[in-house]
Amino acid sequence: MIRVLGLGNVLMSDDGFGPFVVEHLLARYEFGADVEVIDVGTPGLDLTPYLGDAAAVVIVDTVKSQGAPGELRLYRKAQLLRHPPQPRTSPHDPGLSEALFALTLAGTDPGEVLLVGAIPEHVGMGSRLSPALQAAVEPAALEVVTELRRLGATARVREPQAEVKPWWIAGREHVDS
Amino acid sequence: MSRITIDPVTRIEGHLRIDVEVNGGRVANAWSSGQMFRGIERILQGRDPRDAWLFTQRFCGVCTTVHAIASVRAVENALGLEVPLNAQYIRNLIIAAHALHDHIVHFYHLSALDWVDVVSALKADPAKAATLAESLSDWPNNNRLQLKAVQDRVKGFVEAGQLGIFTNGYWGHPAMKLPPEVNLLAVAHYLEALEYQRRANQVVAILGSKTPNIQNLAVGGVANAINLDNEATLNMKKLYQVKDLLDGMMAFVEKVYFPDICAVGAMYADWFNYGKGVPNYLAVPDLPLDGKGTQFDLPGGTIMNGDLSTIREIKSFEDPYFKDNVAECIARSWYDGDWTKHPWDESTDPKYGEWQDDGKYSWIKAPRFNGEVVQVGPLAQVLVGVALKHEPTVRWAMKTLETAGKIAGAQLSPAILHSTLGRHAARMIRTAVIGEVALKHWQLLIENIKKGDVSIYNKPEFKGEQRGFGFHEAPRGTLSHWVVIRDGKIANYQAVVPSTWNAGPRDDKGRMGPYEASLVGNPVANPELPLEVLRTVHSFDPCIACAIHTLDPEGQEIARVKAL
Repeated sequence: MIRVLGLGNVLMSDDGFGPFVVEHLLARYEFGADVEVIDVGTPGLDLTPYLGDAAAVVIVDTVKSQGAPGELRLYRKAQLLRHPPQPRTSPHDPGLSEALFALTLAGTDPGEVLLVGAIPEHVGMGSRLSPALQAAVEPAALEVVTELRRLGATARVREPQAEVKPWWIAGREHVDS
Repeated sequence: MSRITIDPVTRIEGHLRIDVEVNGGRVANAWSSGQMFRGIERILQGRDPRDAWLFTQRFCGVCTTVHAIASVRAVENALGLEVPLNAQYIRNLIIAAHALHDHIVHFYHLSALDWVDVVSALKADPAKAATLAESLSDWPNNNRLQLKAVQDRVKGFVEAGQLGIFTNGYWGHPAMKLPPEVNLLAVAHYLEALEYQRRANQVVAILGSKTPNIQNLAVGGVANAINLDNEATLNMKKLYQVKDLLDGMMAFVEKVYFPDICAVGAMYADWFNYGKGVPNYLAVPDLPLDGKGTQFDLPGGTIMNGDLSTIREIKSFEDPYFKDNVAECIARSWYDGDWTKHPWDESTDPKYGEWQDDGKYSWIKAPRFNGEVVQVGPLAQVLVGVALKHEPTVRWAMKTLETAGKIAGAQLSPAILHSTLGRHAARMIRTAVIGEVALKHWQLLIENIKKGDVSIYNKPEFKGEQRGFGFHEAPRGTLSHWVVIRDGKIANYQAVVPSTWNAGPRDDKGRMGPYEASLVGNPVANPELPLEVLRTVHSFDPCIACAIHTLDPEGQEIARVKAL
């Protein structure tokens, strides 16, 4: 199984970049049966079930890095494991590196990891991306697709193209409507 | 006198900051501060109340389902809407699976490393560890070969320099007291717990259609079509999968989590003397047995001054004792004003200022119940259960005290539960109770469906102004959502979350919140490595600024511990 995970909070503007890219991918591409594309929100420690036992994982999130908003940064597993986690106070603190560490120790870590990170412009309450991050959604999705194809997985452009309509912007249908 | 600040800077904005003043190796004063504005409820204003739960489950990535549940209950309460029995049972199973998952993860992956020294496990004799484990439990994986394999794995990590990732833990700290064999067992169980985290997640995925953000709720019920013979709906095969997963989790709780807590409790018995804090407790009832929420499988109520005879029960989703007595105070929080108000009447007008020890110092409001500071969480749940003679709670509490007492060679009374370690013990007791009750609700669901009832949903009707509240006894404690609806749109929405009750600041009368009060008197051996402070804070299972997740793959500094 190969998993594509969008991390971030859709109520906190640019922090929702990962889920926005997931919505884009699901609307524009069809994936092979061995690929799962999931908006995982901000799971902290609860990230491990999504990483465990996967052949490969591609993660999309915002990252702290030097550079202009919307610039993409790519990281591999070794880079993610380079820095030691520190004392934690809440279940949100242990992030990706701690989850990867625990799974590596358990022997169920994903074979390959790619983090596609975007530098955020504005993180605060709001359900839309800033223009710089909106412009980065398609390039980030392409990075994901390129990685999936490199891994030998299927990611086919959907015909006809569906509209990208995240529920937190477009609303949703109700049971009785 | 020295001052220690623990201030994680993981994200773009910080979240929980703890300041303590240490005098003569003990905490003399403490402040708990939420470092991020959490006015996320405002995003709900003007929206369709039927969608509120989808948004609220994004308040927090760890507590997703709990905010979804509290939200549908709040809107249903506003409309006076009952839900069908099937919907109630399905929700209850999701609640139970989430709680099992959350508590196991909290103990093994968040807080166990405050008590367990991973490096010391390398010195353990796996045969001795296996003998010790077999004296406490017949868990098949506690054998010498498997423990040796875990030890070899850790050794490999250390030799390859990979354990460097944990070098900022507190290995070798003078407050670490477990023998190497117990440390080895704990590391083995830390790794095994990952599997049970995965299984609990599967239960939520089967019933909730998706994880971590469930998709099956609706105001008025659930969206799980039921047909026991249809592949595409909730059917017998899926229900049996759920049962297998729940059975497996319950076995882990009984045979691993239970003995581990008893052993850690017995070997750190001095930690039953620290961390009492505020001995006023609040828990609401949960796992409703009817569509209206008047009968429950988990009891709720309040206890004051640590005296179980003061128990006052909270009996229904409508109970005025709860509805009328929740208020939030902003006297010491970064909001405009100094009022104490009922959630329906609150506004959220941020007004950030400097940190002032004697003034405003937190983004968290200070909730009060009937004017009192109260503590919420598993300890409150267990004490309320004991006070109301809730059979499974009493049984598991007694069994825990007996077993830990036997290992410690001492008689342990229920009074020791008012402590740092007591909160960990209570969390395990509650997990075991929920595991048992979950299986009962699975049975109730099957029996109800077999009677021919397949209804899952009652249609909501909106009209004029409607006010409601919904509570849920979440893993971290009492959660309540408060909603005002006008002409089918949300006019006001407030969430009073468990960690707000516990991590809130002082109030207008200067009374400390539960975290703050519980830290006073804690020992601190080394102000540069304030492990003991983290032990007490972690015992509450804090979950504060649940909003942001920006990774910092290049940065060195994740948390800042500053000793002045």
